[in-house]
Amino acid sequence: MERLRITCDLLGVNEGIFRFLSKPQRTVITNFPVKMDSESIEMFEGYRVLHSNVLGPAKGGVQFTPTCSVAEMQALAMVMTLKTSLIGLPMGGSKGGVKVEPKRLSKRELELLTRQYTRSIFNVIGPDQDIPGPDLNVNEQVMAWMMDQYSTGIGKTTPGVVTGKPVEIGGTLGREQAVGWGLAYILKEYMEKEAEEIRDQKIVIQGIGHVGKNVAITASRYGAKIIGISDSTTGLYDEDGININDVLQWKQENGSLRDYPRANPISNDEMLTLKCDALLPCATDSVITKDNADKVQCRVIIEGANQPTTLDADRIIDERGISLIPDIIANAGGVTASYFEWIQDLSSLHWDIDRVNRELGKIILTAFEKIVQMKRENAVSYRQAAHMVAVKRLATAIQYRGFYP
Amino acid sequence: MACESQKTSSPYENAVAQLKQACDYLGFSDDVFKYLSKPMRIVEVNCPVLMDNGSIEMFEGFRVLHNNVRGPGKGGIRYSPNVDMDEVMALAMWMTWKCAVVDLPYGGSKGGIKCDPSKMSAKEIERLTRRFTSSIINVIGPDIDIPAPDMNTDAQTMAYMFDTYSMGIGKTTPGVVTGKPVEIGGSLGRTQATGRGISYILREFARREQLNLPEQKVVIQGFGNVGSWTAKTLFDWGAKVIGVSDVTGGYYNPDGLDIDGLLDHVKARSTLDGWTGAGDPVDNEHLLQLDCDFLLPCAMENQITRDNASLLQCKRVIEGANGPTTPEADAILEERGIDVIPDILANAGGVTCSYFEWVQDLQSQFWDLEQVNKELERIMLAAFDAVYTMKHEKNISYRLATYLIAVNRIAKAVEYRGVGS
Repeated sequence: MERLRITCDLLGVNEGIFRFLSKPQRTVITNFPVKMDSESIEMFEGYRVLHSNVLGPAKGGVQFTPTCSVAEMQALAMVMTLKTSLIGLPMGGSKGGVKVEPKRLSKRELELLTRQYTRSIFNVIGPDQDIPGPDLNVNEQVMAWMMDQYSTGIGKTTPGVVTGKPVEIGGTLGREQAVGWGLAYILKEYMEKEAEEIRDQKIVIQGIGHVGKNVAITASRYGAKIIGISDSTTGLYDEDGININDVLQWKQENGSLRDYPRANPISNDEMLTLKCDALLPCATDSVITKDNADKVQCRVIIEGANQPTTLDADRIIDERGISLIPDIIANAGGVTASYFEWIQDLSSLHWDIDRVNRELGKIILTAFEKIVQMKRENAVSYRQAAHMVAVKRLATAIQYRGFYP
Repeated sequence: MACESQKTSSPYENAVAQLKQACDYLGFSDDVFKYLSKPMRIVEVNCPVLMDNGSIEMFEGFRVLHNNVRGPGKGGIRYSPNVDMDEVMALAMWMTWKCAVVDLPYGGSKGGIKCDPSKMSAKEIERLTRRFTSSIINVIGPDIDIPAPDMNTDAQTMAYMFDTYSMGIGKTTPGVVTGKPVEIGGSLGRTQATGRGISYILREFARREQLNLPEQKVVIQGFGNVGSWTAKTLFDWGAKVIGVSDVTGGYYNPDGLDIDGLLDHVKARSTLDGWTGAGDPVDNEHLLQLDCDFLLPCAMENQITRDNASLLQCKRVIEGANGPTTPEADAILEERGIDVIPDILANAGGVTCSYFEWVQDLQSQFWDLEQVNKELERIMLAAFDAVYTMKHEKNISYRLATYLIAVNRIAKAVEYRGVGS
């Protein structure tokens, strides 16, 4: 919210537009019953917040977490509005969830919960209204159930109502790789701008899930040297570069990176402060904090995870003159793939994986270029510039559309 | 002054406690209670509105659907700076019970906008109404949820809502709201409906208890839509309306007041103040304590409290207003053997006429006043019959009997439709 205020002031956006953007357009809270395996009824609380649909139908994840709340959904929905605006998608922002600990549900209960939740928000979702996608504790099976429930309710098969579906029923190829690919596109672009080429640049990647893994594979294909990579059990370090394919094979065979013999073990904390060209936190939030921000030794941080840098750390990094490319653009490959899934569903024509990769590059790099320009023109951080690009597009759209009636 | 001790429990908690009592009495499983104790859907929207001075103000609006198991939601839209979610949730729940008591094919809902219409121009109110309607367009509709006027909203507000909804979906849809002007799909008899409904109940009560209507002494607090039409109807039927009041105070005549004269007076002077016909002035406090057969509080909530419940000298109370009796006062009256016909039955004539408006809109065929009144009487008497029978079968208060009828009907529907799977 404070960021929005600052951004609007920097852009000279009028007060009415700020007020409009500062509130979610629609918040829906539902209570719905689920018949548990014990035959008793349990009531669950669900949410769906549409922050803005100025640019198109809203897009945002669904999470099943015990801590899920209205206020949190409202904040995350706003982030989605900014993200979709920033990367130029014809979509707004939303978020939703159910307050539940899914681990304690049986598969049947999880399916029923998903179906009842979908019924409860039936009137406020749809391919031209608001399109859920997977988020915390929600997988492609849940999205398939949502798609089925919506389609059954409305009487027509409507794959475009949700994204993140299995490929067999309207999902897109490349979904798993999309965030990592997007990240790699940005890494390459940044290095080519600042260091002429990406070859032999030293990269440290925290995390080896979908994001870390795919950025590592792509970056090493570009010729970069991955000198550090980690999972939750350990970090690996090799000044001369780690063989990623070998590491991935080890992980597949052994379940984790622990005891990998062809690199030096290193703790996650030590890894973040390795001397390198680019540091890519791709694991969890709040790993770069005020405690380690002054020890980080890289030229650029590219945020693959959501909010890996705390507010305090962000200030320190900025003061130290280290570039930081924020999550809102760096990991936008995910929502971009969702967008591709949606347009493929709408047109009932599906793309091969090369096309997904190509189109993804176009979108991510176009957005990144806008940020770079905005940064240059206004002498602000990448993070601030990204917000300015996002808000500027929204403000212009609001200006054109006017305030109905 | 009214109910300090109640402040600890919110309107919603009160509503849930009433439901709990009914469910326990009926021996329902905890599942039914759990399901009915929560609103199915809460929608909160933020509406940007262009003000006359050129600035954009944001307004917060709500629409709560408590339950739709018996049919689309039905409930009012209020404009007030004090609209809050807890209260709207309670009112939506009460609408579910009310519609079930009179056996309308509706669930319950309620909504509102946090705004102060007294500080807004007509244009600003229109823009706000239109923007709010657009914002909730996906969750209202003649087969989803049907708003109606409530505090600070009127036929004009409903006309704007109807127009905005119709333009938005591209078809003229008068059935999306009720309380519209007659010229664009409203029903005849709307203004009179609540008062007539109360009168039907009173007359039927008298008939069943073998009381002679012309001998019945009636006191009515409130002389707005509800109070004045109740007075007029009962007066025309020959009952003795011995006391009436409005905010300026009231008049009392043990031989019966000239209601036609009072109506003319109010038409000319807008309040009861200054009436010079037969009758003595009486303030609202003493009006409630007049010796009478029927006391009809038709003004506002929390009028009969623990402070005055023991002073009442009426034989029965019929609640024309919503919540005129506090729970503590209710207990005192029960101990004193004074029957109370509860609001959700007594003043259901209003929502019943809304239902008629919706039916007429759906079928695009309109009724004359005679048909409206005939249907209203049929519905009110059927509801009273169900409650009366339940009360005497189980030997419980009218209020509890009314809740039992409502909750039982809803639970039946839940059972048939299935829940949670």
